[in-house]
Amino acid sequence: MQISTRRSGNATILDIEGDIDLYNSPELRRVLLGALREKGTGRVIVNLKGVRYIDSSGVASLVEGLKVSRAVGNRLSLIGLSPAAREVLELSRLIRVFEVYENEEQALGA
Amino acid sequence: MTGDQDHIFRLKFEVPSDPQLLSVVRSAVGQIAAVSGLSEQDCRSITLAVDEALANIIRHAYQDRGGQIEISCQRFVSGAAGGPANRLEFLLTDWGRSVDTSELQGRPLGEPEPGGLGLHLIRAVMDEVHYEPCGDHNRLRLVKYLTGKKTAATPEGD
Repeated sequence: MQISTRRSGNATILDIEGDIDLYNSPELRRVLLGALREKGTGRVIVNLKGVRYIDSSGVASLVEGLKVSRAVGNRLSLIGLSPAAREVLELSRLIRVFEVYENEEQALGA
Repeated sequence: MTGDQDHIFRLKFEVPSDPQLLSVVRSAVGQIAAVSGLSEQDCRSITLAVDEALANIIRHAYQDRGGQIEISCQRFVSGAAGGPANRLEFLLTDWGRSVDTSELQGRPLGEPEPGGLGLHLIRAVMDEVHYEPCGDHNRLRLVKYLTGKKTAATPEGD
């Protein structure tokens, strides 16, 4: 798994490539929570377009990010969900707790 | 092929209790599901279920301290399609800590809380889930019927 970070206005966008599993979800958690807590960040957008697989530990990292975003008063959005990522979030019945958009343009416009 | 009418194949391998090797097992499980004729979605969901089961063994049975995990996969065909005789079965054996079966309930779904999802995902995907502590080892048997009964990713309305 690789995570690239970039800015668009006051949003931080995390582009993730590869599988998210028990081995590397701690890295996702670390980068995501760091971005959410960074001063001047109004929202964090997690781009999952390059993620072919995500397990429950990856979902747990996203959920933890959601809780932190609420605590610090900014937004967390997910974009580019692959069928695999969407299925796991649906099976977990958590897809509705996240702001989910098809792509970056839609997320930034929302 | 074994020549046994009801038993198409059996694959058995052993992996260390190491999260870094989960991706290797996922590749194998996905291929096994594919050659068993499952849809792409079912291949993904079975891969998820086996991966979650292995992650639970690594975290809870071996408590991240290492150990061995034996994975046996068997494909059976017998009788009517959609029944338990026509199935793909994974038997995972570990020699770690036994889990109290009362701990295997998971937590309510839909709540935005991290953790506790793995078992729910396994149960949502597989048609049978059996956990059995057996003295010095533990066995987890996951069964997927090959047609009918249950399809993956049908959570919202069930």
